[in-house]
Amino acid sequence: MTTCTTSWRICRRSVSAALQRCAAWALSSLAIVGVLAAQDAKDSWTTYHGDYSGRRHSSLTQMTPANVHQLTLAWAFATGQTQSIKATPILANGVIYISAPDHAWAIDARSAHQLWHYTYPANEGFHIGHRGMAIYNDSVFLTTPDSHLIALDAKDGKVKWNVTIADAKKGYWSTNAPLLIRDHLLVGVSGDFDNLPGILTSVDPETGKTQWTFYSTPPPGTAGNPSDGATGGQMWMTGTYDPESNLLFVGTGNPTPVLNGPVRAGDNRWTDSILALNPDTGRLAWGFQATRHDTHDWDAAEVPVLVDGSFNGTPAKLLMQASRNGYFYVLDRTTGRSLLTTTFATANWATGIDQDGRPIPNPAKEPARDGRLVAPDESGGTNYRSPSFDPKTGVLVVSAHDAYGIYFFRSDHGAYGWAGADYGVFGKSILRAIDYQTGKIRWSHDLGEGASAAGVLTTESGLTFTGDTAGNVIALRTSDGATLWHSGIGRVGNSPITYELDGRQYMLVAGGASLYAFALPEHR
Amino acid sequence: MGKRLQNLTELIGVVVVLQAASPQPRSPEQLQAGQRAFAAQCGFCHGRDAMGGETGPNLTRSAIVADDVGGDKIGPVIRDGRADKGMPPFRLSDADLAAIVAFIHDQKIKSESPGARRSVNAADLQTGNADAGRQYFNGAGRCATCHSPTGDLAGVAKRLQGLELLQRMLYPSRARGATVAVRLPSGELVAGALAYRDEFTVALTDAEGRYRSWPAGRVTFTVDNPLEAHADQLGRYTDDDMHNVLAYLQTLR
Repeated sequence: MTTCTTSWRICRRSVSAALQRCAAWALSSLAIVGVLAAQDAKDSWTTYHGDYSGRRHSSLTQMTPANVHQLTLAWAFATGQTQSIKATPILANGVIYISAPDHAWAIDARSAHQLWHYTYPANEGFHIGHRGMAIYNDSVFLTTPDSHLIALDAKDGKVKWNVTIADAKKGYWSTNAPLLIRDHLLVGVSGDFDNLPGILTSVDPETGKTQWTFYSTPPPGTAGNPSDGATGGQMWMTGTYDPESNLLFVGTGNPTPVLNGPVRAGDNRWTDSILALNPDTGRLAWGFQATRHDTHDWDAAEVPVLVDGSFNGTPAKLLMQASRNGYFYVLDRTTGRSLLTTTFATANWATGIDQDGRPIPNPAKEPARDGRLVAPDESGGTNYRSPSFDPKTGVLVVSAHDAYGIYFFRSDHGAYGWAGADYGVFGKSILRAIDYQTGKIRWSHDLGEGASAAGVLTTESGLTFTGDTAGNVIALRTSDGATLWHSGIGRVGNSPITYELDGRQYMLVAGGASLYAFALPEHR
Repeated sequence: MGKRLQNLTELIGVVVVLQAASPQPRSPEQLQAGQRAFAAQCGFCHGRDAMGGETGPNLTRSAIVADDVGGDKIGPVIRDGRADKGMPPFRLSDADLAAIVAFIHDQKIKSESPGARRSVNAADLQTGNADAGRQYFNGAGRCATCHSPTGDLAGVAKRLQGLELLQRMLYPSRARGATVAVRLPSGELVAGALAYRDEFTVALTDAEGRYRSWPAGRVTFTVDNPLEAHADQLGRYTDDDMHNVLAYLQTLR
């Protein structure tokens, strides 16, 4: 099997076929050729999702259903922060880069030895969490709570440049793990508490210069009223990319004002949508709206997972998303046409599904003065935690959340920012394996009361890794969801990754504010 | 609420603070510093205005805030966190902590002024029919299986009002907990209050107050969790049912 060398500058094996497999891991701008194949660079994990497809499926097979019960701790790294790790680490050239708000660390992937720690100056942006970093040649990139983008020297953590992506004083912040496509570094921001247009920015990774800006809702001064008066639609999660069609896929967040629907009657495009953009120009190729006229803070920012599979017996280029509104969507990613829409988590807010595959919102479930009992709650049927696609069994494994909340709005709540009130009532977490061709749940695995924050990793050997709500990282058999191993490491707040160094496979996961690397015993 | 109005409210808030006979006067500078620090560190969970957010409660309605004098109750919560509720500890300077405390108190004053946003008043919730609620309570809702208007719910409307009563009606998280009976491999039966349960471990607190745990796969156990009925009911309520039962509970004074 072809693998990348340990150099991150170029994938050295051969030119075309090997690049097709090493693809996203070779970080020379010339060598970046994304593919939808499983992750093949055993010693690397160089983007948020591990590859452009967002499948988080590894080709590594040293850990198997038969031996995973022997997993043992190889090392642990404590960040020393009070906030838990939500970031997916990236790994290149034997070095792991992990982030938290205002912080970035480089550590040795073999030993957890810290190479450097960068601290961003104190600032007034939102410090809610951080999803991870990006890497390009000798630079790693960190977004900040006050919506800056910092290029750090990968060797020593020194600042190369620092640019402003969006105006933090207006209410933008960023937790985003940027996505590198050739010489475009795509950076998203957040901002729910002010009425702000949704922004995705493409930045030159060499200089920090802005290449283009895409608005998911109209910037001030736009003629007409294409979003029905809504702002929002922030693209705060990392997108996916199909090199064959040269399309970037990104999910957009909820409209603002968040809970006040009457002031923005209409569908509110392109909020709560899955969008296909040309990464060279930022031009919209197509859009699919997962939630029309959202009044419950349900982003469609969740990972748009790309799969080359079959649908109704015909080969198909697919995009699938388990969305925060509780619905699972399968689209033809060449056109954005809906192929399948069904629920994967409890949802009581729609009266049916329209001819375009979009759920039809029930007006009676809009926030009201006396309260409406709605599923999912604000945190959603799922959230930023990543799902994983297992090609062998054809399932998308999703950390789902069956939950109810009560939603209120009265006219004096106004039309700015949140503009209403909502309260979670009760929820429980269930890992669900969704058959992508039918939408049926192949198996479920209870994760406990409350919302799990852990994403999912599957491997070619038939393992599924995730975390429950009680602070256990768990390994399941992908074919049926049976538990094979667990370790109580504290609340798992990120999505596990895996890599192989010196012939040893590691599974890396965050528990609380620490990273834990698990491996099989060295002398088996 | 627009920026302009928000600023106006802030101005009014400052005036109110200056007029209030507060034991600890709060300067506009301190409130501004508190607002900034709160937004950065606390805002996502509790809302930038402290009136509730994605995972954190509305602090202007918090009992801890109501009881707090100069940070004596809020300070320890911020410094130590509330692990059981998912709140991490925060390391803040004394000045930042004092500013955040001042800001929270200021927001509480604002929230009690007319027109404040993001609040639910008891008056908003009066759309139900108490007779229909009583019928649901005794019939389709099966509430009477566990509850009695002359027993555990006698006077409930005196103890709880408005949103808090509605929330506790839907899912009374602080009500009596679950119990568990554990059969050990020896045959011994141990019963007590369920203290912990995940996929791998079950634990109870016995009659003497001792914590005891076992690997879940090595014992057999039966959990009796009265709250399961509340969780199940969430999928059965119509919004009218919910408002009707609330109206009925409000008659139990």
